[in-house]
Amino acid sequence: MKKINLRQASVPIMFIIICAICIPLSGLSPKMLVNEIVTRMGRNAFLILSLLIPIMAGMGLNFGMTLGAMAAEIALILVCDWQIVSVPGMILAAIISVPISVLLGIFCGKILNRAKGREMITSYIMAFFVNGIYQLIVLYLMGSVIPIKHSTIKLPRGYGIRNTVSLLSMRQKLDNMLAVTIGGVKIPVLTFIIIAVMCLVIVWFRRTKLGQDMRAVGQDMEVARDAGINVERTRIISIVISTVLAGLGMIIYLQNMGNIATYTAHSQIGMFCIAALLVGGASVDKASIGNVFLGVVLFHTMFIVAPRAGAYITGDSMIGEYFRVFVSYAVITVALIMYETNKRRAKSAASQRLQEEQDAESPAGGENS
Amino acid sequence: MEESITFKDRIKDSVAEFGLPRLIITGFLVLLLIMAPFVGADLPTQISNIINRFSWNGILVLAMVPMVHSGCGLNFGLPLGIISGLLGATMSIELGFTGAMSFVAAILIATPFALVFGMLYGWLLNKIKGGEMMIATYVGFSSVSLMCMMWLVLPYSSPNMVWGLAGKGLRTTISLEGYFDQALAGIAQINIGNISIPTGTLLFFALLAFAIWAFLHTKTGTAMTAVGSNPAFAKAAGVNVDRIRMLSVVMSTWLAAVGILVYEQGFGFIQLYMAPFYMALPAVSAILIGGASVNKASIMNVIVGTILFQGIVTMTPTVMNNMIHMDMSEVIRIIASMGMILFALTRKTEGSR
Amino acid sequence: MKNKRQFLFRALAIILILALAAVMFVIGRGHTVYFDNKDAEYDGKEYEAFYKVVVIKDKEKVAKLESDDRGMTDLMGQTLTVTVEITDEKGGESHAHKVSMPVPYSMDGIVINVPALMAGLPAEAYMSEFVPIAAEEEDEDEEVVIDEFEISDDV
Repeated sequence: MKKINLRQASVPIMFIIICAICIPLSGLSPKMLVNEIVTRMGRNAFLILSLLIPIMAGMGLNFGMTLGAMAAEIALILVCDWQIVSVPGMILAAIISVPISVLLGIFCGKILNRAKGREMITSYIMAFFVNGIYQLIVLYLMGSVIPIKHSTIKLPRGYGIRNTVSLLSMRQKLDNMLAVTIGGVKIPVLTFIIIAVMCLVIVWFRRTKLGQDMRAVGQDMEVARDAGINVERTRIISIVISTVLAGLGMIIYLQNMGNIATYTAHSQIGMFCIAALLVGGASVDKASIGNVFLGVVLFHTMFIVAPRAGAYITGDSMIGEYFRVFVSYAVITVALIMYETNKRRAKSAASQRLQEEQDAESPAGGENS
Repeated sequence: MEESITFKDRIKDSVAEFGLPRLIITGFLVLLLIMAPFVGADLPTQISNIINRFSWNGILVLAMVPMVHSGCGLNFGLPLGIISGLLGATMSIELGFTGAMSFVAAILIATPFALVFGMLYGWLLNKIKGGEMMIATYVGFSSVSLMCMMWLVLPYSSPNMVWGLAGKGLRTTISLEGYFDQALAGIAQINIGNISIPTGTLLFFALLAFAIWAFLHTKTGTAMTAVGSNPAFAKAAGVNVDRIRMLSVVMSTWLAAVGILVYEQGFGFIQLYMAPFYMALPAVSAILIGGASVNKASIMNVIVGTILFQGIVTMTPTVMNNMIHMDMSEVIRIIASMGMILFALTRKTEGSR
Repeated sequence: MKNKRQFLFRALAIILILALAAVMFVIGRGHTVYFDNKDAEYDGKEYEAFYKVVVIKDKEKVAKLESDDRGMTDLMGQTLTVTVEITDEKGGESHAHKVSMPVPYSMDGIVINVPALMAGLPAEAYMSEFVPIAAEEEDEDEEVVIDEFEISDDV
């Protein structure tokens, strides 16, 4: 157990070292750095929180969180066209995004139930598949079937949405409410309050009947089924909750950014959020709220300083940019490998025990289950 | 195994196995072919395009076969092999090879890289049996993004490849003119009217496909199939499961390396940096469209799948554009190919993976 | 019995959310309001532009208009409340008027003619829709990039 904990801590420690090296090289003032990190904390924390519940239900990292992000984007585009602005616009977008997210979540959950044991790759492909449908809607149906009035967001050809949709009327409206500036660092208090409330909800949710069921399903599906838990339904609910939260998180994210990159904003959200969570010390089957915040701080510090540090060392800013992308992928790869090896070790230990108990029938080791 | 099944059962099975998505995709292509003359698309040009694109992509799809056979699942880690190929191509140019010779050199240089990468990759996949596909995906991504840095840093100096101003760092696309552009396609090329058939490339594909087919019927090849279909049984029969799996991964990686070189000689350019990133997905969906599943694939699946997939890729833009003046081909391609992969992943397979 | 109650609660929740959405539609509707300090004509009568007009919204000066100027501000909701400070002549005293008016929901951009407004004319005299002057002269079609390979600069 202790050994596993050390392995768990290795990723955050590695990141602390990377950051410690890169921060002085980047030449960023502490104030700027803190400012950036606080901004990114407000921007990303909610999105990352959406990953926690599927992990609890044993479904691994939900690469399908992009589905929620796409639902949010569709809602925001519509709200933008209706010219509902500021915080009411965001609330309306949230209300519109929820049913879309729920539908997508149910769809995704049903598919994942048919692909038990390979949820992650399936949810990953799922994100691509729904991205295709998203493009169909946004690029071809909006403006031709779904009415879009304003030429500022519509492509000149008469249908389809432009590459970027400006959210100027919503830009940081949530962040600026109740915002406090301490020593030159702007703190988006309201956003943080929302994130804190979400954390409390998750803590509370873990203790509800449904939350307990999810943990049971995550531990062992067969045992949970024997205990009378509707495994399939529980798993679908966990994905639905995750998708809905991801949608709400995306609205917070985009109001901070101030514009929607219509065709690319969602595509890498999943990857960066998952990387951040893993950097915070989470694993595929275990993640806490603490991991989320540690992850945001470490991952985004790296993200901010790496290009500058890279430019300082090599004189080429691209190297730093590629470096941070590489690190994001490498972190996920390492976490996945660690998860699989641990799982395999546990399984072979179990089967060894079984073999000792009954020598007559030799079980198939770790490969066949 | 299949000999014992009667013909009727076989048809019944194959219809059930065929699956709805595959049926839709095949139907769609047939529809496109029928529509093409009516909307004013030139059918011979279209067919010529399909044959050409088949010849470019065939080997990349073929690279799926060994790993599927040994039970490692769909090779989402294809980019790793592609990178070996890219290293071969760039080094061959760097070392001053030109013309068709540069193609041979590229394959020769790519081979050791593919072997080493493939062995590391295979060793890793042996450690994580059961989680191959997800990890393969991320091994591919990590290696591509690592190489992004390398393309900038490695000491390439050929003026045809590096950025003109800085004098270092490879360009994102490198023209192969004067090097191995059409190296295979040019061999015994047949031109009849609008149709041009790249005989050389097709023969090269046939050669490799035959080699894989023959290999799968050797003792090692049947052992590989056994490992894939029932690892416990194979182990009991004295097969070294890990070694066979390793071999299949190395083969897949090498085929991917050769595959990308063949692709480039047809396409005429080397694409570096993020280009190999998602190259696994079209290849994966192609073989699935051809009738393969997560743990079953044949050479026939490769051929049929590549033709169907490339058919849709080439036909949809022209036919769609002529018909409704909306170029929805990109979206259709994404939905069709990803839908196919999703469908395959949700199939129940023996020995869940 | 329990099912019925559950159903009732759910229906109530959905109605509440829909009501909330409806409220958002009303209070969140954004308009751009343009203030014109220009000569106006209505019913054959001329209304001359003022020497200087200052428009104050939410204690914030949003427009300072000489004769023939146009100023603008963003408005959220369906009621425009502004204080208009008018100076009739150079060096003269300014006098402030608080005005409040409903704005039409369907208009994105609204032009308000201040002299007409101050003269107490009906809404159709001082309020008109702002029509953007054919800004869509961009004939070149925007190329849509669905580039999946792109590395985003910022997350």
